[in-house]
Amino acid sequence: MRPGELKSGGAGAASSWGRLREDFIRWVTRRHRADGRRAVIGRDRVYILPTRQGYMLLAILMVMLLGAINYSNNMAFLLTFLVVGIGHNAMWYTHRNLLGLEVTALPVAPVFAGTASLLTLRLEDRSARPREAIHLSAAGGTPSRPAFLEPGGSTEIAVALEPRPRGVYRLPRQRLSTRYPLGLLEAWTWLTLDHEILVYPAPIPLDTLALTGDEYDGEQAENAGRSDATPDEIREYRPGDAPNRIAWKAVARSGQLFVRDNGSGSGAPVWLDWDGVPAADPEARLSALCHRLLEANAEGQPYGLRLPGARIGPDTGPDHLARCLRALALFGLPGHAAG
Amino acid sequence: MTAPSTAAPTRPQALPGLWLLLVAVPVAALPHAWEQPPWVIAVLVAALLWRLVIHAGHARLPSRWVLVPLVLAGGALTFSHFGTFTGQQAGTALLLVMVALKLLEIRSERDVVVTLFLAYFIVVTTYFFNQSILIAAYSLFSAWLITAALIQVHGGRPLPFRRLARSSALMLVHALPIMLILFLVFPRIPGPIWGSPGEDTVAQTGLSDRLEPGDIAQLLENEATAMRVRFDGPVPPSSLQYWRAQVMTDFDGRGWQADRDRPEIPAPETDAGDVAYTVTLEPTRARYLPVLDFPASLPPQARLLDNLQLVQRNRVDSRIQYTASARLDAPPALPLADEERARALALPENAAARSRVQAGLWRAMHGDDERAIVTAALELFAGEPFRYTLRPPRLQDDRTDHFLFETQAGYCEHYASAFAVLMRAAGIPARVVIGYQGGQWMDTGNYLRLRQADAHAWTEVWLEDAGWLRVDPTAAIAPERIETGLGGLFGDDADAPAFLRRSGLPWTVQWRMRLSDWQELATFRWESLVLAFDPERQRELFARFGLDATDWRSILIALVVSFGGLGLAAGLIAVARRPGDDRDTAQRALDRVSRRFRRHGLEREPHETVTGYAARLSAVRPDLADPLADLARAYTRLRYAELSPVERSDCEARLLRALREVRPGVAWAAQKKRRGSAPASAPAPR
Repeated sequence: MRPGELKSGGAGAASSWGRLREDFIRWVTRRHRADGRRAVIGRDRVYILPTRQGYMLLAILMVMLLGAINYSNNMAFLLTFLVVGIGHNAMWYTHRNLLGLEVTALPVAPVFAGTASLLTLRLEDRSARPREAIHLSAAGGTPSRPAFLEPGGSTEIAVALEPRPRGVYRLPRQRLSTRYPLGLLEAWTWLTLDHEILVYPAPIPLDTLALTGDEYDGEQAENAGRSDATPDEIREYRPGDAPNRIAWKAVARSGQLFVRDNGSGSGAPVWLDWDGVPAADPEARLSALCHRLLEANAEGQPYGLRLPGARIGPDTGPDHLARCLRALALFGLPGHAAG
Repeated sequence: MTAPSTAAPTRPQALPGLWLLLVAVPVAALPHAWEQPPWVIAVLVAALLWRLVIHAGHARLPSRWVLVPLVLAGGALTFSHFGTFTGQQAGTALLLVMVALKLLEIRSERDVVVTLFLAYFIVVTTYFFNQSILIAAYSLFSAWLITAALIQVHGGRPLPFRRLARSSALMLVHALPIMLILFLVFPRIPGPIWGSPGEDTVAQTGLSDRLEPGDIAQLLENEATAMRVRFDGPVPPSSLQYWRAQVMTDFDGRGWQADRDRPEIPAPETDAGDVAYTVTLEPTRARYLPVLDFPASLPPQARLLDNLQLVQRNRVDSRIQYTASARLDAPPALPLADEERARALALPENAAARSRVQAGLWRAMHGDDERAIVTAALELFAGEPFRYTLRPPRLQDDRTDHFLFETQAGYCEHYASAFAVLMRAAGIPARVVIGYQGGQWMDTGNYLRLRQADAHAWTEVWLEDAGWLRVDPTAAIAPERIETGLGGLFGDDADAPAFLRRSGLPWTVQWRMRLSDWQELATFRWESLVLAFDPERQRELFARFGLDATDWRSILIALVVSFGGLGLAAGLIAVARRPGDDRDTAQRALDRVSRRFRRHGLEREPHETVTGYAARLSAVRPDLADPLADLARAYTRLRYAELSPVERSDCEARLLRALREVRPGVAWAAQKKRRGSAPASAPAPR
């Protein structure tokens, strides 16, 4: 698998029919502006077509009508036309079930390669009707469970996208659909809500990668040694300190927040170096760096990241971790200066 | 948060809507319990029970090796019972059996849906056997259940029953206007496309085309409605209400045969004094249409024969409605051809010997005075101990002689037949007419109801000076039969059927009769409004709007106009129901600005204050800084300051003035493309 690039992901149009379909959808959705973060489903973008069940009922209605005509049976006419009326109105019900929804794309939580990212949309409704059984699908995603909204309520609906190689992607085009209430018709809309999907390299420990190299082992031992050798000091909590470093005993004594500080914050940080990973494959290097990064973060020691053409200074905390991981995710991709 | 998950293979008992299906199918099939052979119902009940056991988790779905033989057996059983798969009875039985077996095969949502669609079909087949208003109400209930089940299938989660019930009921209500329009406008084709409907249904009671003393007696016990009549204007007296159905000229010594192949005659001229009426006729399986004596104007589909009998081209296999008028007292003067006269005088060689002697006596006594002979015969009936009874003794040997001289007890057809024979024996052309007479006036609905029990037979004799003259010998025996109907005759007779009696009935029976009167009224309304709608009524309806029901353009116009009107009405209701705009002036102005700049990606974020938004816009559009500041200030004042009415309106005016100026403008859009150059106008000093 090649690392992903910044593209509309997932539209794996294998057959020519699939390509044709994809072109058609693109042509149709061109009428809409790109949706950005939020879209309101207006009349101009709700499409509706009969389903297979709809055609089935149509066939049965035809037989019913023939019977009514043949036997000049007025009540058979009445019931046939009643069901015709129900089927006709189903168009309106189904269309209405989707119309006027306000859809917001929620940020996609970054994942490590090999795990599925979760595309999550927030559905809001200002109407006085409940909304039933709304489905979300996206190219390369498993179909969602149906979503429901009480009048004026809101809910979230999500699909798991297929796992991808590391990189950054755009959200694939979303399809919000419903067949409620009778399943005779499907109303749907295509949404081009956008957020980036960030896929970090998969964290793989070096030994799993079967690496050799004294230099690396030494560095690791050195780091580990320093971490153990320096006795903990207690200092006051500063925003950004990892929760697992809180010195609970001290907190219990004083009622104030204290953290254990092994001095590494002020001491020499750990440097995670591209060149320090003895692996030929760049993806393997990134995976190893990613694993080490997570380890360092868990230990709470400050760390920095050095990549060809980029350097992220040593620091701690979730923001720093995110920056480093992002740099790994984007490393070497066209159009992205790492870091 | 909705967790994504791949759909696990659903256990059959966990299918949404299945439990409602297991209620809806038996409900839809219930009316068939009275019409179908018991084994069909047994198959359905057995399959349902089996499915319920599966549903409860005590058994598994039968495999294909069980199902295929069951389906074949079901088909074979149906075929061996009916000898066919087509036709209303066999087709319905097959449908029920197959749906029953389908119940055992439901594995997926799709199966549930198909079965529910077939349940609609089951409801329709009910009408092949029964079209009463009760069935109509019941099938509305069935359709409601089926629709609720369909909603549950597609609801995606177990919906509360109240919501299902409400949604389903609303759907039915919304569908009613469409149903009505299609019912009225959909082109109706007369007659069947294939087969002959009703061949395999139970024979309907009605007048037969042969009259032998004893036939009508079965009808006299029959409470069923034969026809209903509504008069346009005053109701003629009961003694003149003779509903002519069939005329019988040929006598074979035992009974009378209805005329066949009589030539058609033109309809008489209409006259202002005619009695106009509309008949709703129950199916008779015959071609005659009962009309009030004597027919004047005729329904368009009918032909008048020279015996003044009205027929239509096809058998009356379903309930029909027609309008006609009558001239009560004046039979049209028609000549009598020699050959007709011979027919109307014919008596079999050795029939009615004693009657011939009696007739000869009268002839000798009165000579050519035929009226006197008629009177003499009527006096015979009135004078001798003749009785009117519904249970006469059996007639033997020569029926006419035996009746006239031995038993002397009978009812209308005995008298009519014997009288006609006497007249023929005396050389006066005579024939028998059968139809209906009397009936029950329904005050609640203002119409006359004629039951099969009101069937009647009378005679017509030909007199040179008067033509065919109606003579009803029954009137000589039992005048109350003619003047007040059967009820007058048997009202106090404890042996008579309850519906003919007037006194001595327990209150329960009286209540039942009152109830059945109401039911009768509802049925009448239902039948005359709904069931009687046929190509003819449709033609009249279209003609009222100047359209032609047989012209596709007219149908198109009717469809477009009616559906257009319906759509318009629905649109107006939707607009009226739309929640009102509850924003105030300030909010509306702000929203409008936001909408104007949305195109340029400068929509107001939900969290943004007015001032913040105005500042952000001003940064991009320094030229609009002034009006934007005004707008923000006015907005804030309107919102938060305590203002007198004068100040408020002043403030609103400033707000609107500022709003007029805050526009992205075409010029700016063009200029935006040349981004990089300085803004066109510097912010003006304040």
